[in-house]
Amino acid sequence: MAYAYLFKYIIIGDTGVGKSCLLLQFTDKRFQPVHDLTIGVEFGARMITIDGKQIKLQIWDTAGQESFRSITRSYYRGAAGALLVYDITRRDTFNHLTTWLEDARQHSNSNMVIMLIGNKSDLESRREVKKEEGEAFAREHGLIFMETSAKTASNVEEAFINTAKEIYEKIQEGVFDINNEANGIKIGPQHAATNSTLSGGQGGQQAGGGCC
Amino acid sequence: MFGRSRGWVGGQGKSKNIHSLDHLKYMYHVLTKNTTVTDHNRNLLVETIRSITEILIWGDQNDSSVFDFFLEKNMFAFFLNILRQKSGRYVCVQLLQTLNILFENISHETSLYYLLSNNHVNSIIVHKFDFSDEEIMAYYISFLKTLSLKLNNHTVHFFYNEHTNDFALYTEAIKFFNHPESMVRIAVRTITLNVYKVDNQHMLHYIRDKTAVPYFSNLVWFIGSHVIELDKCVQTDEEHKNRGKLSDLVAEHLDHLHYLNDILIINCEFLNDVLTDHLLNRLFLPLYVYSLVSQEQSEDRKINPQVSLYLLSQVFLIIHYQPLVNALADVILNGDLSVFMPQTEQNTHKSSSSAAVRRFTKPPESLERSLEMSRHRGRKKAQKRPNYKNVGEEDEEERGTEEGPDEEKEKAKGTEASSKASRTSGDTEEIEMVVMEKCKISDVSTLTEQNITDEEKTAAAAAGMEGQRSRPFLDMVYNALDCEKEDYHALFVLCLLFAMSHSKGINPELLEKIQLPVPGQERSSYSHVLVERLIRVMNHAALPDGRVRLATLELSCLLLKQSVLSGSRCIIKDVHLACLEGAREESLHLLRRFYKGEEIFLDMFEDEYRSMTSKPLNVEYLMMDASILLPPTGTPLTGIDFVKRLPCGDVEKTRRAIRVFFMLRALSLQLQGEPETQLPLTRPEDLIKTDDVLDLNNSDLIACMVVSKDGVQAQRFLAVDVYQMSLVEPETKRLGWGVVKFAGLLQDMQVSGVEDDSRALNITIHKPTSNPHAKPVPILQASFIFADHIRCIIAKQRLAKGRIQARRMKMQRIAALLDLPVQPSSEVLGFGQSSSSSSSSSTSQLPFRFYDQARRGPAFASVDKVPGFAVAQQRSSSLSSSSSITAQSDSISTSGMSTHTTPVPAAPLAPSLTPAAQPTISLLSDTNTDSLSVDSLTLLPPADPPCLRRFSRDEAAPADTDARTTPDLKSAEDRKDILAAPEEHGTYTTREKDKPDHPDSEPAKVSEPDVTSRSREKVETEISAPDPEENLDLEQETEID
Repeated sequence: MAYAYLFKYIIIGDTGVGKSCLLLQFTDKRFQPVHDLTIGVEFGARMITIDGKQIKLQIWDTAGQESFRSITRSYYRGAAGALLVYDITRRDTFNHLTTWLEDARQHSNSNMVIMLIGNKSDLESRREVKKEEGEAFAREHGLIFMETSAKTASNVEEAFINTAKEIYEKIQEGVFDINNEANGIKIGPQHAATNSTLSGGQGGQQAGGGCC
Repeated sequence: MFGRSRGWVGGQGKSKNIHSLDHLKYMYHVLTKNTTVTDHNRNLLVETIRSITEILIWGDQNDSSVFDFFLEKNMFAFFLNILRQKSGRYVCVQLLQTLNILFENISHETSLYYLLSNNHVNSIIVHKFDFSDEEIMAYYISFLKTLSLKLNNHTVHFFYNEHTNDFALYTEAIKFFNHPESMVRIAVRTITLNVYKVDNQHMLHYIRDKTAVPYFSNLVWFIGSHVIELDKCVQTDEEHKNRGKLSDLVAEHLDHLHYLNDILIINCEFLNDVLTDHLLNRLFLPLYVYSLVSQEQSEDRKINPQVSLYLLSQVFLIIHYQPLVNALADVILNGDLSVFMPQTEQNTHKSSSSAAVRRFTKPPESLERSLEMSRHRGRKKAQKRPNYKNVGEEDEEERGTEEGPDEEKEKAKGTEASSKASRTSGDTEEIEMVVMEKCKISDVSTLTEQNITDEEKTAAAAAGMEGQRSRPFLDMVYNALDCEKEDYHALFVLCLLFAMSHSKGINPELLEKIQLPVPGQERSSYSHVLVERLIRVMNHAALPDGRVRLATLELSCLLLKQSVLSGSRCIIKDVHLACLEGAREESLHLLRRFYKGEEIFLDMFEDEYRSMTSKPLNVEYLMMDASILLPPTGTPLTGIDFVKRLPCGDVEKTRRAIRVFFMLRALSLQLQGEPETQLPLTRPEDLIKTDDVLDLNNSDLIACMVVSKDGVQAQRFLAVDVYQMSLVEPETKRLGWGVVKFAGLLQDMQVSGVEDDSRALNITIHKPTSNPHAKPVPILQASFIFADHIRCIIAKQRLAKGRIQARRMKMQRIAALLDLPVQPSSEVLGFGQSSSSSSSSSTSQLPFRFYDQARRGPAFASVDKVPGFAVAQQRSSSLSSSSSITAQSDSISTSGMSTHTTPVPAAPLAPSLTPAAQPTISLLSDTNTDSLSVDSLTLLPPADPPCLRRFSRDEAAPADTDARTTPDLKSAEDRKDILAAPEEHGTYTTREKDKPDHPDSEPAKVSEPDVTSRSREKVETEISAPDPEENLDLEQETEID
């Protein structure tokens, strides 16, 4: 339960690119990817360790709220990291990246770390967007880039953790104002460690405190 | 991380096929065996619930029998049972995750209906989770959000119970509207919007009758509290330290406004009326508007006027809902303080309530409690809360319970599927009644104007007739436009006026009543008060130490244009135009102070033009920037954008002066209906472009090999034009013509020798950029290899000289723009470059057409007569002449100040500010000069059109040594003009006497006697120039080597 920092992420991108599946894949390892099951979730949290520090990632999917300007605006503002996802088998989802990025840049705080993710890398045969294109787009816009597959869980871990590392580095550099929760970063509760000792131990936050 | 320690259920080997009906049956078995949660079975239960989720989703996608089994065995009940045992966080989180996943992933509508039936979901919604746990909170609110996304006219019945008046999904969600965690608040807003979007009359009636008042009053209080915090943040700020926090608070306020707007544009009149009432009477009027006029020491004053102006601008920029913004604008523009007084005559018996009206007060109880009360109200009617809500609410409630439902039911039968847009008029009326009644209580025309009848109109007109009714808010707004000391308030006022005039929700008549500019409206008059104040802002902006920021000036220009341009006509009065011209003139004088021969001036001049035209002011973005809420500052170290702060240092002062000049010039031209013919200095369409075909007969061409950075080689001919260098290939069809393969501006070029190759040059041309911080992007970066070192030197000199000359010519055009005597730049032209001097003079007159001539004539002739001379010449000249010019122009502007600026602050119509037509533009064409001399020369400052003309005379002059001396003399004479200016500036009549001498300048007159000592010095430096020059040249050569 105890964490040094909490980072809030949002996931953005066209519908159907696999955002909620990525989210579930990363936040809950118990849901093993299976070929005949597509399953996702709109919210998830998970503890990771960076530099010996426990860091909790809270990921919010923004799907379905695009019609309200106030909502998208607020979401962007409240996040420290954003995963911008497209589907490598659908060219149009790649073409829409610019719009997504503009939106994100306009509403978010300037320090938000954005990671570009080409999802569904398992479907190599149906690929429409070359990896190089994704790389080029990321380079051009100063994003981190990775191809993932929520189906095979390939690179999913890395995508989220690399984003977290980047945020962490920014904190170390003093770029992020960590005392300002509006940035999507929270400092962990000081004494949480001593309070939740009853059952779970270190097995992840799900197992954390079985006591309330 | 989750699974690793938890995988043991699967590890038991009972999961040959996890995704199957059989496995679900096994899970069911586990559940029946473990109905009580204990420490021992907790992990097992969690994994069971998790697996069930997975199987259900799999079943939804692959095998429908799975769902049947789940329903048949009523497995949802197990979940509830487990939940109710206070089984602890671990289990709770799993259950909530399962529910999230279920509702998120279910694709079949029937499956969804199954899940929603039995009211289990509502039981879970009202379950008292431990919301202090941030993870439970997050999963819970996500669960509600997921559910709200499933709402539609059918599914809403699963959540809203008409008979018990329960709508747990909504009422539970809004209890978290002010949760400290932003993501939770966002989710709540999403849920509410998703609810309001559903077009179900009963449900919406319920929302309005039972929840709207508590929710909106608390919401409004919440927003207002943020505003007060924001204000405190501004007040306590020192040295801009609060900027980070402030920008969050501003963003938060914007979020709120956008949220309110999102509700209002769903256009559910039911809610909009209640929301509008609350916003107006409990937030915007008492907190924002009232703060405009209240005294500082007054207790009622909540926030500072500048903050309230800023926030009001945001309101008008974001919200366009007519009944709301129109009423708000009406109070600001027409209202007086009586708005905030209890209306005694109308309602003595209700005075207690009306006293509470229009106050920004905390709701007497929490939202949660209000909701609780309202749920029980049906049963315990007698128990009434002693608070302001009762007044309106009870009326409403009575309606709601007595006549409301009956009426509604009838209607519902007929118009069940009626769209939102066409809500029956009966409904509207009913609501209107409620609102109107409230209005009566609280006076004023505010809300009534949403449906003005004729009588009301006349009544309103009569009210207007009452004569000089005091308008304290409007007075405050206009008075805040004063920029004498600073433009802190003025910027906000301008934004507010801009926002109001562009608001789609404000009745144009309302604006017209006080002659506020409505864009695109035909009109014959404008507000003199406003226009005079705007012009005064411009006057201040043009002062050397004016404290007006560029954004303020730009907005003033925008508003002025909006005021006085009616269609294509300009209705500005002469006297105002004259004042404006005065300001423009002043800006010209200001810029003259900064005009220098330095290279950087030209670059700045062009950069500013580029960035001004490429990034016009966006008021909405401007009003999103919290930094302008703090007092204007000058230091760039704050990171505040240049246009939103005062200049810092000489460079920025120059940049500012340039911009002020551009803006006022553009404004003046537009108001007078004249086209801009001088700016930008380089129009892209006038430049040689790639693939152009040029006649290069008689041009000097140098063959070379161009090796680009990536090693690509090409054989090209180098040609140097007036402003550009180009690389051409012979045109195959026409002898002596060439196809341009590359063209770049000479002024942006850098040439250097190559260390170990005397035949080669490195040439880089940067793309002009408007961002001073951006790294310049090279559009050409290549080495040029020539046949031998002689040709190489020639090319180098030609390019170097071309560069200087191109820059010089542009500087001359700037000088002409500034009414400065055109520097004859004898240094360059003196080499007998008749052709280019011709082009330069024609440049001054026909700025964009010289290319034709240049291209036709031997444009590239005779550059290489004195090797290396040009570079040094340029240096010496910039050493001597520029410094003297600076000194002189300084004295000019000081004198200019004494005559022009002093009266400015005193009166807006000061006579000294009313010179007629302006000379700068007209100067440059002969016809205009003539007309000028007829009507307005009496008021002209030293304009010196003759210089230009004399110049054109040079065209004819042979390019020999004479040509070199004449310009010197001329330059001397020009300088004399400048020197003379301080004495003569105030008295134009003397100047006028001079005038006749100038045209058709006889060289004889311009001779020895006129040459001042200073210009003699100048000549001396020039003569002695070759010496240091050679040295310099040598130096350069050695550098290259």
